[in-house]
Amino acid sequence: MGDPLDMDFVSDLPQSIIESILTRLPIRDAVRTSILSSKWRYKWSTLTQLVFDEKCVPLSTDRGLVEKSLVHFITRALFLHQGPIHKFQLSTSYLQSCPDIDQWVLFLSRNDIKELVLQLGECEWFRVPSCLFNCKKLTRMELFRCELDPPPSFTGFLCLKSLNLHQVIVAPEAIESLISSCPLLESLALSYFDSLVLNICAPNLKYLCLEGEFKDICLENTPLLVAISVAMYMIDDIAEHFEQSSSCNFIKFLGGVPCLERLSGHIYFTKYLSIGHDLERLTITYRHLKVIELYQVGFEDMKEILVVLRLIMSSPNLEELHISGSSNTLGEIEAADVDLWEKLSKYTFQRLKLVKMTEMSGVPHEMEFIKFLLSRSPELEIMSIMPCGCDIDRRLNMLIELVRFKRASAQAEIIFIKD
Amino acid sequence: MSEGVMAVVKPEMKSYIWLQTADGSIQQVEEEVAMFCPMICREILQTGMGSSKNYAISLPQRVNPAILGLILDYCRFHQVPGRSNKERKTFDEKFIRMDTKRLCELTSAADSLQLKPLVDLTSRALARIIEGKTPEEIRETFHLPDDLTEEEKLEPLRNITDDPRIRLLNRLYARKRKELKEREKLKNVEVEEERVDERSVEDLLTFINGGGEDSKGVRANKNKKKNRRRKDHPKDSSSNSVYGNHNKELDVLSSSCHDGEVNNMASPSKNSKLQDSTSVTFSPKLEFDDGDIDDDIDPAMKEELDREVEDFARRLNSDWPERMQEILSLGQERRLVPISMNGNGSTHRYTSMSCIVWIGDNNLMVNDSFVRMSSSSFEWIARDASMRFAAEEAVEELAMSFGAR
Repeated sequence: MGDPLDMDFVSDLPQSIIESILTRLPIRDAVRTSILSSKWRYKWSTLTQLVFDEKCVPLSTDRGLVEKSLVHFITRALFLHQGPIHKFQLSTSYLQSCPDIDQWVLFLSRNDIKELVLQLGECEWFRVPSCLFNCKKLTRMELFRCELDPPPSFTGFLCLKSLNLHQVIVAPEAIESLISSCPLLESLALSYFDSLVLNICAPNLKYLCLEGEFKDICLENTPLLVAISVAMYMIDDIAEHFEQSSSCNFIKFLGGVPCLERLSGHIYFTKYLSIGHDLERLTITYRHLKVIELYQVGFEDMKEILVVLRLIMSSPNLEELHISGSSNTLGEIEAADVDLWEKLSKYTFQRLKLVKMTEMSGVPHEMEFIKFLLSRSPELEIMSIMPCGCDIDRRLNMLIELVRFKRASAQAEIIFIKD
Repeated sequence: MSEGVMAVVKPEMKSYIWLQTADGSIQQVEEEVAMFCPMICREILQTGMGSSKNYAISLPQRVNPAILGLILDYCRFHQVPGRSNKERKTFDEKFIRMDTKRLCELTSAADSLQLKPLVDLTSRALARIIEGKTPEEIRETFHLPDDLTEEEKLEPLRNITDDPRIRLLNRLYARKRKELKEREKLKNVEVEEERVDERSVEDLLTFINGGGEDSKGVRANKNKKKNRRRKDHPKDSSSNSVYGNHNKELDVLSSSCHDGEVNNMASPSKNSKLQDSTSVTFSPKLEFDDGDIDDDIDPAMKEELDREVEDFARRLNSDWPERMQEILSLGQERRLVPISMNGNGSTHRYTSMSCIVWIGDNNLMVNDSFVRMSSSSFEWIARDASMRFAAEEAVEELAMSFGAR
């Protein structure tokens, strides 16, 4: 069939290419290539990236069956595998407190694992075996719903660059020491920790992402931080804690990040920053800060507005600003403190090009803020405003006010989004 | 054509690089396009070649002129800095629309020129081609030879050992099994063949799927402990005691039946033995006890084995009456003979290469161990529902013969 020259032309490609092809296939298809021909029999077994999920096994409504077959598949694949495994990812919700996972982690710890991702769905928290802490070459770790308990002899992951812990149960001191014992850590993401007081000491850290109920965050030693994203949830006792706190949170958090390029704060972030705020001049300028996103800013609270102002006025190269108001409009709308806006020194935003205001309820401070921005941004190109609420009257009033505002930039477009 | 026109056609101010492909043909390319390839770039910078026709840069062997043209088109587009990501993506999508063979050549050439973005692009395209296809479709697309025997497809994958003896054995068995298969083909059992084919792929899938309804347990790869256990096991049951008596070579030869039993009884859930469905009757896995072989094979044994295999082949080829004669004469020796169930409307089956007994209408080969072995192998066969009919018949006949004696 076919001429002799029409031979198999893919089996003799270099192994690195075959691997790159097989890595792009779902693991099940990759393993199936073993029956294609004699040359392909073991090509899959040297893959260094193994990604498992429940798609590896046939679907079934019987959870027990799926679990069993998934365990079989993974165990077999690991057993038949040859050579180092650099990446192992397991994302499934079918493995309910499965003892085999411990064995897999043990196997991986002996095989130079570099990237480990365990996302175990909605089942019980998986207690990570201590052999995980023997994975000396780990560069990336992502755990989802696990329980971590570093042994006392643990000296840290010396190669770890990226750490992502989502809904992980771990003692607070353990977290801090884990972070500080990973000297190369560049990217840190912590989500859904309960009431955490955190001191982050990571000299190489570049990307920080925090989400959850944090009582206190202090960026002690993070000089290289480039991007921060924080979502702070608030429950009652944290609110009390906020009231009682005396230290200046703004300085604690943003005092030591001169290289910051991108800041994103959600929910109660600005409120958090406003605690303990005093009106001293900030000594730090964020020369590289280009994008600021602050969501749920409470425009009724003067302190929060001051935080925002301070932030944007310390960023001479700011190009994009996204602000959203908190959508719980108070019944009483207090009169704007006009003095404040007059008092602000003659500051212009030299580079500001794009401003997006969302969830605007027409509160006086909001309008003053917009007016302030419009009159101080000579390079502004787009100001986009999205009102919240369906009160047509209010929107009309907003629009009428908007039209009056003086614009420093001749090419500024004001885009009022209807809904 | 005035010379003025000609002059306009050739752009001044551009510098060209000369490239030579393995077949000797030389092309010239704009410098910035050629510099997009890391390998060419390095050559130019390090050796200074490529500036004239005589000093053309020779490209690696995997790059032929047609493919070079494609690669240069790619470079020409992407080296322009001002393009948006969307434009680049659209270009890439259109660029890789070509037949599979050319895609493979392109991948190979891009790899030898170290043009990583193109290697990634083509790998992704090849992965998309492979994904979701059945093995037959993949073989057809890539012209892969289907050179695994049915048995090999069924065999559980194992860690490769470099032992040449094992490889030799594997080859021997593969050859014998191929011959068996050919014989079967000649005897017009197409239905069976199809079934076997299905099973072979299914079996592999059951391996991947973690076992179908027939799998009796899960067998991991060879490890010595497991082999030991299997060797010890015969002492426990009478039906297996026969095997305990056999010498090693027979163990290996008969291991397929043997295993079927042991696996069922041992049922080692802890040991996680994944097993291809033993219900495949045509060619159950020939257990390569790496442990066994490693332990016991020595040249003398191997020669025994060779002889065994040759004997077997001979028997297969000879006619039935002659075979009968032989068997009778071999008598007390524990020899394995081919089985085929014949007559009574039952179908031909080679249940295994090794453990086969022939039953004719009124002829029954009897010697003690021989009979016992065959009955146990029938039991084993009987587990396969599809064989149940034939097996029952065979067992009945056995019983009758005992009675007759």
